[in-house]
Amino acid sequence: MSQSFLSIQNVQKSFGRVKAVSGVDLDIRENEFFALLGASGSGKTTLLRMLAGFEQLSGGDVLLEGRSIADQPPNRRPVNLMFQSYALFPHMSVARNIAYGLEMDKLPQAQIRARVDEILQVIQLDHLAKRKPDQLSGGQRQRVALARALVKRPKVLLLDEPLGALDKKLRSEMQLELKRLQAEFGITFVIVTHDQEEALVMADRIAIMKDGGLLQVGTPKEIYEAPQTRFAADFIGVMNFLPVVRDGDDFVAANGATIKATRLNDPVAKAAVAAIRPERLAVGDAGDNTLRGVISAIAYHGLDLLLHIKTDVTDTPVIARMTADVAEAEGPAAGQEITVSWSARDTHIFAA
Amino acid sequence: MVERSSFRLMLLILGVVFAFLYIPISVLIGLSFNEGGLPTAWTGFSFKWYGALLENDDILRAAGNTLVVAIFSTLLSTILGTLLAVGVEIRRRNGKWLETVIFAPMIIPDIVLAIALLSFFSLLGVRMGLHTIIVSHVVFNLAFVCAVVRARLKSFDWSIVEASADLGASTFTTLRRVVVPVLMPAIVAGALLAFTLSVDEFIIAFFTAGAGRSSITLPMQIYAMIRFGVTPEINALATIVMTVSVIALALSQRLNKGGLPGQ
Repeated sequence: MSQSFLSIQNVQKSFGRVKAVSGVDLDIRENEFFALLGASGSGKTTLLRMLAGFEQLSGGDVLLEGRSIADQPPNRRPVNLMFQSYALFPHMSVARNIAYGLEMDKLPQAQIRARVDEILQVIQLDHLAKRKPDQLSGGQRQRVALARALVKRPKVLLLDEPLGALDKKLRSEMQLELKRLQAEFGITFVIVTHDQEEALVMADRIAIMKDGGLLQVGTPKEIYEAPQTRFAADFIGVMNFLPVVRDGDDFVAANGATIKATRLNDPVAKAAVAAIRPERLAVGDAGDNTLRGVISAIAYHGLDLLLHIKTDVTDTPVIARMTADVAEAEGPAAGQEITVSWSARDTHIFAA
Repeated sequence: MVERSSFRLMLLILGVVFAFLYIPISVLIGLSFNEGGLPTAWTGFSFKWYGALLENDDILRAAGNTLVVAIFSTLLSTILGTLLAVGVEIRRRNGKWLETVIFAPMIIPDIVLAIALLSFFSLLGVRMGLHTIIVSHVVFNLAFVCAVVRARLKSFDWSIVEASADLGASTFTTLRRVVVPVLMPAIVAGALLAFTLSVDEFIIAFFTAGAGRSSITLPMQIYAMIRFGVTPEINALATIVMTVSVIALALSQRLNKGGLPGQ
């Protein structure tokens, strides 16, 4: 496994005066499922389009297996893009759509047919080979678009919000399906998404993008458990933020309670925020830090409950997660007083 | 809610307008089948005047000329107009003034265009004939084809062009295998419209045909004949021209509306 299979080196992109991507450095490994995660306008799609060859680099370089591909036009790159809109050819059948890329490679007809048949079976659409795109459902179109890009066996497959247009149930099915196909074909996937859950479920590594730059790169676990910035902490999953003030090694919440924390991310002079995941809050006062409040609402999610707790440390309710079996035993109710506590290890400190 | 009486009034006005539009045409079609040939008396149904057309060398030659002009000007303006429409859409930055320039021939009065083209050809010292009519018809047909194709391009999904390039196609291959097939209904619709316009165009052809009878087109021939009165032959000829035009226009509209399924 090469360490720098796809190497993105100080890549920049400006549209006029607007900087869309400013100096991104990334090394993506062979066979890796890599996610570029960010809100709209973060530069993730621009970066992807530069990898595909649809945008010229304003600066920097992109190396694939050690060779620069920055000046190669899209039709000569061993890289394929699955478009967000799928971009299927409306006048061609499913089979013709998939065969198109192979015809461009001037493969013999027999080989083209064999590879198209093979991938149609992989995506389980062999019975719809003769249909036109407008005779397919959204999920079927999505799979045709995937097959069309995958059938060329590119060195890197780029996916622009591949699941964005699907409904929730289908999306979670396709997340696993994409992972399966990636493993089966042994192709490096680079996926752009704004859906943090999607990135966490599918990717081997995630890069969080903001304002055209990288905020943090890491495995889903690293990103979730150890966010390095307040933005990352907020963007990924649910997070409670409590405004605190520094007092020596500890912090003081708005109600005067001491908050102990061991995960200091930013140098903090005075004002700061303490961040805690809802699942790290436990009912009772066994932890290092304790908070009292009144349950203002209970959100039922099946496997677990989210308790919204009104406290005197912050205006927004503190959210605590409780598994269904605990909830059964404790029987929390809205309006009830509750005490929650958590460990100093689970307390992240960011600059305010 | 419109009152009943004013609704009736509107229906009446509509009826009068339609009557004014279609009664003359119906009379013309009817008379073309009138055996006696006089507009005053119906003496029986006959294809006699259509037969007479076939024996009139002047009309046959004019019909041949019209077909040549229509076919060549349609071909040229369809190819150029389609490329123009795609080009303008891609370079949309300068689109506003380009559009004005392209669509000017649609707005400029025919007589002005005719005089301008005549002066231009004389200035260049070009011998006039069918070829100058063809070029002149391309000038205004180009605008119509371009307009029809442009309308289709408004709903064109450009990501399929990028997809084609991404899958390894050159620009020309993309044009040939993706852009043109997807635009085909609009291209054919534009071509049929151009054909129709060319077949019954009179003023520009009249000015740019040059001297002599060799490059007279059908509308010019009809105009020449009509100076001696409306003959039943002319009625028959007009009926044929109208039928061809209506069929071409109907096809054009139908293609442009329906197009590819799901577009």
